[in-house]
Amino acid sequence: MNLSLRPDRIKELTLLGLIALAVIIFGLVIDGYFSGRFFNRVSTSVVVVVILAAAQALVVISRNVDLSVGSIVGVAAYLTADFLQNNTGASPVVAVLIAVAVGAVLGAFNGLLVAYGGVPAIIVTLGTLALFRTLVSLYSGGENVTADALPDWVIELNASTIVSGGGFDLRTTFAVAIVVVLALQWILARLRWGRRLYAIGSNPDAAAQAGIPAKRLVLWSFMGSGALAGLAGFMFMVRVGTISATAGSGLELESVAAAVVGGVSILGGSGTVLGAFLGAVLIDTLRLSLVRVPQVSEFWRDAVLGVLVLASVIADGLLNRRLSRRVAERGAVNAAEPAGGTAGDTTPDGVQHPLAAREGSINA
Amino acid sequence: MSKDQQPILALRSISKRFGATQALADVELNLFPGEVHALVGENGAGKSTLIKIATGIHQPDTGTMELAGEPFHPGDPAAAQRQGVAAIYQEPSIFPDLSVAENIFIGHQDRGLLVDRKAMERDAATVLGSLDMDLNPSQPAGILTVAGQQAVEIAKAISLDVRILIMDEPTAALSAHEVKQLFRQVQRLRELGVAVLFISHRLDEVFEIADRVSIFRDGRHISSRPISEVTEELMVREMVGRDPSEFFVRTRTEPGDVVLSVDGLGRRGVFRDVSFEVRRGEVLGFAGLVGAGRTDIALALFGVAPADEGTITVNGTPVTIGSPTDALRHGIAYLSEDRRKLGLSMTQSVTTNITLATLDRYTSPLGLVDRSAEAADAAALRDRLGIVTASLDSPVEHLSGGNQQKTMLGKWLNAEPQILILDEPTRGIDVGAKAEVHRFVDELARSGMAIIMISSDLPEVLAMSDRIAIMREGRLEGIRSGDDANQETVMAMAVGVA
Amino acid sequence: MRESQPESSPESLPESLRAWARSHRWETLLAGILVVTIVANSALSPHYLGVGNIVNLFWLSIEKIIVAVIMAFVIINGEIDLSVASVMGFSAAVLATLHDSTGVPFVLAIVIALAAGALAGLVQGLVVAKLKLPSLVVTLAGLIGFRGAARVLLEDRSIGEFPGWFDRLGQRALVGPFPLAIIIFLVGLLVAWFVLDRTAFGRKVYVVGNNAEAARYSGIAVERVKIQLFVMSGLASAFAGVLFAARLGSVRGSLAEFFELDIITMVLLGGVSIFGGSGTMLGVALAMFTVLNIRNGLGLANVDGIIQTGVVGLLLIGSVLAPNLVGKLQGRLPGWREPTTAADGARAIQSS
Repeated sequence: MNLSLRPDRIKELTLLGLIALAVIIFGLVIDGYFSGRFFNRVSTSVVVVVILAAAQALVVISRNVDLSVGSIVGVAAYLTADFLQNNTGASPVVAVLIAVAVGAVLGAFNGLLVAYGGVPAIIVTLGTLALFRTLVSLYSGGENVTADALPDWVIELNASTIVSGGGFDLRTTFAVAIVVVLALQWILARLRWGRRLYAIGSNPDAAAQAGIPAKRLVLWSFMGSGALAGLAGFMFMVRVGTISATAGSGLELESVAAAVVGGVSILGGSGTVLGAFLGAVLIDTLRLSLVRVPQVSEFWRDAVLGVLVLASVIADGLLNRRLSRRVAERGAVNAAEPAGGTAGDTTPDGVQHPLAAREGSINA
Repeated sequence: MSKDQQPILALRSISKRFGATQALADVELNLFPGEVHALVGENGAGKSTLIKIATGIHQPDTGTMELAGEPFHPGDPAAAQRQGVAAIYQEPSIFPDLSVAENIFIGHQDRGLLVDRKAMERDAATVLGSLDMDLNPSQPAGILTVAGQQAVEIAKAISLDVRILIMDEPTAALSAHEVKQLFRQVQRLRELGVAVLFISHRLDEVFEIADRVSIFRDGRHISSRPISEVTEELMVREMVGRDPSEFFVRTRTEPGDVVLSVDGLGRRGVFRDVSFEVRRGEVLGFAGLVGAGRTDIALALFGVAPADEGTITVNGTPVTIGSPTDALRHGIAYLSEDRRKLGLSMTQSVTTNITLATLDRYTSPLGLVDRSAEAADAAALRDRLGIVTASLDSPVEHLSGGNQQKTMLGKWLNAEPQILILDEPTRGIDVGAKAEVHRFVDELARSGMAIIMISSDLPEVLAMSDRIAIMREGRLEGIRSGDDANQETVMAMAVGVA
Repeated sequence: MRESQPESSPESLPESLRAWARSHRWETLLAGILVVTIVANSALSPHYLGVGNIVNLFWLSIEKIIVAVIMAFVIINGEIDLSVASVMGFSAAVLATLHDSTGVPFVLAIVIALAAGALAGLVQGLVVAKLKLPSLVVTLAGLIGFRGAARVLLEDRSIGEFPGWFDRLGQRALVGPFPLAIIIFLVGLLVAWFVLDRTAFGRKVYVVGNNAEAARYSGIAVERVKIQLFVMSGLASAFAGVLFAARLGSVRGSLAEFFELDIITMVLLGGVSIFGGSGTMLGVALAMFTVLNIRNGLGLANVDGIIQTGVVGLLLIGSVLAPNLVGKLQGRLPGWREPTTAADGARAIQSS
C-alpha cells in the first residue's frame, strides 16, 4: 500500500504534525508545559468532543450532517443522570447502556426522516436539535440533577486512571474515547458497511447503480451517530456532574468544527474518524494552551478556533482540487509537442500528470 | 462467432413511448457472445433508450428480452448488473475518493463482513494488467484521467463477469493513444467472450473495432450487417434516411465586411495558433471531432475561458474578452452545447430565460425590471422562433427539448449580437425542430449576422456553411469554401490524413 | 409565476385567486396554518388581536426577523450564512467597546459597527465566491470566529450606559405604538419583497441559485452577486445587532447566541428550498408570522421558550416531510399520477 499517495493519510499526518508543532511552540512559551498535569487536563477535557467528532464524521462522510448531537447529549445525560438519581445502586454498565440506547433511538428518528422521508439532513437535524431539547425540558420540568444525587462511582470514574507514568495519567474516560475512535476507524476502514458509507458520500448515483442500499446505510449511520452521542452524554454526565436541561447546548457546532479541522470534507466521501479525533485534540490543545499564555486572554479561544476552521476548509478545498480531476475535459492539446507523442513515458497509464498536457482526441 | 450460436442477448419487438414520442418502435436486435457490435444512429434514433431498457432503467411497453435464452426483465441497473448486463457511459461513474481497487470491487467484492484490502488490490492489479493498464490500485480513483476511469469501469465489469457490456460513446473524451488502449481492452473483452455493444458516432472507429453494425433511425432498427458488408456511404444513407444532398439549402448571399478577426489565438494545453475571419452574413462552420478544440475556441471568444495568446478584433478594433460581459458588450453571443447545465435556468420562466442575457436593457436606474417590455420582447421572439409553450410564464423545464433549444436561441437573439456562435445547435432535438433551426440560421445570416456554427453533424455543417474551418487536436487544419468541401475531404482533414 | 396573460379575457377574482393558489401551494398552505394559529390563539386569549399584543408579538423576535429577511436572499441564492448571530454579537461588541473605551462619538461608533458587520460579510463572501468553498463550513468558521471576536472585545463584561436617545429609540414606541425596529422591519420586508420580485438583482439571485453556471454563461457576474449578498447579510446582521443593543440597553459577548437556528428555520419554513433557486418573500413573511404567533400564543399559555422552539422544529420537519409523503402516495395509487406530457417524452429520449 503506497502510503504517501492516500489523501486521508496525508491529512492525518499533517494534523499530527500540527499538534506536535503546537506543543513545541507552547512548550517554549509556557513554563511547566510538558508536565503530566497538562496532558491530563487536555485528555479529560477533550473526551466528549472527541466522541461527538467521531459521530459527526460518521454522518458527514456519507454526505449528511447531524446538528442534533448536542441535544442528544443533553437528553442522554439527563435521562441517565435521572435514572441514576433514582436507582443509586445501578452499575455503570447499565448507565452506559441506557445512554447509548437513548441516543440510538433518537438517531434512528433522524435517520428515518432523512433516509426514508426524503428530508435533507440539515433540515431534519435542525428540527430535532430543537425537538430533542424540548423533550429534555419537558422531562426535567426545570429541575436539575445535582452531582451529589449521583452514585459515587460517577465522580470516581471522572478521576479514575488506568495507567500512570511520570505524572502522565491515562484516564479511563480518555481510554474509552480512544477505544471508540479506534473501533470506529476500523469499522470504516475494514468493514464492508463502512466502505459503502464512503461510497455513498463520494458518488450517490454510482452507489445506487452499484446496488448499494443507501437508505438502510444512512439510517444506520444516524443510529450510530446517535448512539455515540448518547455515549458522549454519559461522559458529559461523568465530567460535569450536575445536569440541567441545557446540557450539551452548542456541542453540535464543536463537533462539526472538529470534524472539519480533522479533514472530513463537508461534501462527503473523504476524511477519517482518526482525523476527526486529531482535529478535536488539536482544537482543545490550542484552547487549553492559549489559556496558559499570560498575554493571551481565554476569550481568544473561539476567535482562534474560527481561524483554524477556516484554514482547514481552505486547505481541504485546495487539496481536493489538486487530487481530483474534472472528468471529460475535452480536447487538451500538448502545446509543445505535435500530435503523435505518447502522454509522458514516466507516468503510469491513466494517471493525470499535474503538469502534462494531453494529446488532442482523435476520431480514429 | 457463427450465426448458429444462440444470441446472448435478444431483443424482440421492443417498443417504448414517452408521452407523445415513440422512442423505440418494434425493435429487434441480437447480440452474440464475444462479438463487438456497433450501434450507429443519429441523436434521437433511440440508442440511449435502448441502453436504458437493457439496463433496467426503463421498462419496455411491448416486446421481450432474452438473456442466454431466459426471459430478462431487470427492474433496475443493479438487477441488470447482477445478471451480467452493464453499461459504461461517456462520463465515467466512479467513486473519486475510494481507491481504484475499491471502485472495481465495491458492491460485490465482499464475501463476508470484512474487506481485505491487500487481496483486493492484488486482484485489481491482475484485472487491470489483463487490460494492459498500469494503474496503482491503492490510489484514489479521482486523480485518474477519463481513460483511466473508463478502464476502471471495464475492470469492474470484468470482475462482475458481465456477459454484455454496453459502451455509450466511450471515445468521446479520449486521446489517440487512449483510444488505442481502449480498443485493446475491448479486444480483451472479446477474448473473454463478452458481447460488447459499442455505440458511436464515429464511423471510422466502427470500422476499426466492430464485427457487426446495426443502424437505427427514428426509433427503428434499420439493419444489421457484418462490417465487411458495409461502407460509410451506406451507413450514412441509412442513418439519415435520405440522400445527404437533400439537406436544407442555404440562400447564398454576398458576405459583407469582416466583423470578427482572430489571429494566433491560443490557450495553453488546449488549442494553438488559430486564425480566421468571419464576415457579416456568412456562416463559418467548424468541423472536427469531439475534443478537437472547437468549443474551447468558442469559450475563448465568449470570455468563459479566455485565451492566453493572440488577438481578437471586432469591427477593426482589437478587444480584450475576459468575461461573458465583455463578449456581450462587443456583440458576441454563445449558444452552449449543454443547454440543461449551461444554457437555461430550468425553474425560471420562459420570459426570464429569454431576457437573461439582456437584463440591463429592461432595468430602470432604480433596478426595477420593466415587465411589460420584457413580456413584449419575449412574445415577439416566441412568435418569431415558433416556441410552443402554454404561457410565457411557464417554467422552461416544462418545454420539450426542441422548444428549450429555441428559448435558448431566443435569449441570444434578444441580445442582437453581431456574431453568434452556435455550439451543436441541433443536438438532441427532433428532425422537425432541426429543420426549423436551420431555416432560422439562414434567415439570420441573410439579415447580416455573422455566424460561427460548431457541429459534429457533417452533413449539417456542409449544408449550412459558407466556409468550413476544420480543427484537429487543437490546431486549425484549414478552411475550405462550401463548394469544394465534401464529407470525405472534411473528414480526412479532421482525421489528419489529408 | 405571476399572472400575466394580456391576450385572454380578464378572469374573475376567485378564478385568478385559485390559479395563483395552485401555483403557490406552499404559500397557501402557510396562510392556512397562520389563520388557524391566530384563531386558536385568539380563542385562548381575549386580547390576542389587540394592538399591544401584536406589537409584543414582533417585539420579542424583531432582530431575528430582520436578519431572516436577508437570509432568505442568501438561501435562495444557493448559499447559507451560519454566522449571522455571531456577526450581530460582534457588531454590538464593536459598538459597545468604542463607546466604552474610546472617545468616538456614538453615532460614528454605530457607523463603524455597521461597517464591521459588512466587512465580516465581505470576507466570508470572498472566500466562498473566489475560492469556491462551501458556504456551510466557511460561515461555520465565521460563526465561531466572530463570536470569539466579540468575546475578545468584551471578555465577560457587560457594557451598557448608552446615550439616552439610543435606548429610547430601541425601547420606546416611535410612530403610534410601533417602535423603530418594527417600522424598520416592515419597511425592510416590503423593500425586500420588491427587490426580490421586481428588480434585476432579485432575478439574478434566483437564477444564480438555480443554476450558477447557466447564469455565468448568460453574462451574469456570479461572483459579484454572491459577494454582494454576503455583504448584505453581514450588514443586516450588524444592523440587527445594534438594534438589539438598543433594545436591551446593554451588550454581552453572548448577545444573540444561537439565533441563527431560528432564523434559518423561518426561511426554510417559508418555502425557500435549501438547494436554492426558489421561494418567495411572501412565503418567508408568512412563515415568520406563523412562528411568531406560535411563540406568542404558547408564551401567553405559559409554555416554556424551549418547548416553543421544539414546536417550531416539528413544524419545520413536517413542512418538508408532508409534501414528500404526499408525493410518494401519489406515485403509488393509480389514477393519482400526473399524465406524462410530450415534454417528458422528448426529454426522456434525449441522449445525455
